[in-house]
Amino acid sequence: MADYVHPEVLVSTEWVAEHLSDPQVRIVESDEDRALYTQGHIPGAVEIDWAVDLQCQVVRDYIDRSAFDKLCSERGITNDTTVVFYGDKNNWWACYAFWVFKLYGHKDCRIMNGGRKRWELDGRAWSSERVSYPRTQYTAPEQDASIRALRDEVLKHTKAGKQLLDVRSPEEYRGERMHMPDYPNEGAVRGGHIPGARNVPWPMNCHDDGTFKPVRELEKLYIKELGMKRRSPTIAYCRIGERSSLTWFVLTYLLGFGNVKNYDGSWLEWGNAVRVPIAKGAEPGGSTAATPAPAMHA
Amino acid sequence: MASVRERLDELVGEFADLDAREKLELLVDFANGLPPLTADYQARKAIEDRRVHECQTPVFLWMESTDGSARLTAEVAPEAPTVKGFVALLAEAINGRPTADVAAISDDVLDRMGLADVLGILRTRGLRAIVARVKRGFAEQAAG
Repeated sequence: MADYVHPEVLVSTEWVAEHLSDPQVRIVESDEDRALYTQGHIPGAVEIDWAVDLQCQVVRDYIDRSAFDKLCSERGITNDTTVVFYGDKNNWWACYAFWVFKLYGHKDCRIMNGGRKRWELDGRAWSSERVSYPRTQYTAPEQDASIRALRDEVLKHTKAGKQLLDVRSPEEYRGERMHMPDYPNEGAVRGGHIPGARNVPWPMNCHDDGTFKPVRELEKLYIKELGMKRRSPTIAYCRIGERSSLTWFVLTYLLGFGNVKNYDGSWLEWGNAVRVPIAKGAEPGGSTAATPAPAMHA
Repeated sequence: MASVRERLDELVGEFADLDAREKLELLVDFANGLPPLTADYQARKAIEDRRVHECQTPVFLWMESTDGSARLTAEVAPEAPTVKGFVALLAEAINGRPTADVAAISDDVLDRMGLADVLGILRTRGLRAIVARVKRGFAEQAAG
């Protein structure tokens, strides 16, 4: 892991195993299927669920500051705790939770490389015991807007021709499919991609065991082949913002890009929004040009 | 013998007063109780189109009827214990009971189990698709 630009944010299963009872460390599991945590988690790990815990139930947004403070307090996390995230599905939701913690300015967040899959492959123990910690005091700052893109900003970004990554499958990108292969359509009415977006499907970041690819391969992909620049503003999106959290993590921490935002509204918002242009086909600009909306005033 | 609906109501009732953690634990219990496919079904899985394509994870379902008696056979990937537990619960309510009874499963079964609060809206869509698929499969059996 030493060659990554910020290697300290990535820990191995071995490191986690050595810190299970370290009071400075809190292990957090975030899964696509919550019952996986119930069935067996890393001993002492708490669960944070993306849908139930991190999203506000009455506004389509993340929980507010006071709810975030309460969430951390209930899980025994202080402002100084080292929080290590891991989960199923190549750490999609772990990266998503990591990103929300960064949105609220938590200092020391890390990802366990390889997630549940690597822990299992390494033959390490699972526990189904209930976990609780004494409540803590937690005070989050205001949200850090520098890592989150909202729709209007994405619109300006795409019009200015800045770096934009679509990390969904090629079928979703081309507009042939409105959801992941084998996944339910979560309700976008149009298929395609945001004009100008390059398609780099998220699996290109990972090995089969869920761990991240070495820095050389990632640099070859993003910098040599796509010609992306570390200093240029970059936005990543997917369908609901989980897979693009993983790409955001890779660009920001493993490759050291200086200005990357996750567009969490992603295709579920863009594919439904009124008067935003979409592109269909394999080319960033679209092989069948969509008619751009007439004068749009932000 | 209780009807499909009565048995399902009993099973749903077991969930009603549980907190979120207990609901997930009960689902995991059901998941652990789903038997693996027999060699016969393993062989059929390779040649028949039994995959539920609306579902997030590999789910294979057989809705079959013998002499008017229903049997739901299923395989769900181990990485999806929520889906696996829910399918096992449906099988428990359906198997050995009249095929014509399955249509009486109400579409609000997930709401009555209180799963939307535990899983969120997006996840319960896949489970709703399974209820619809199971009812449709047995309706075809009952009609045919």
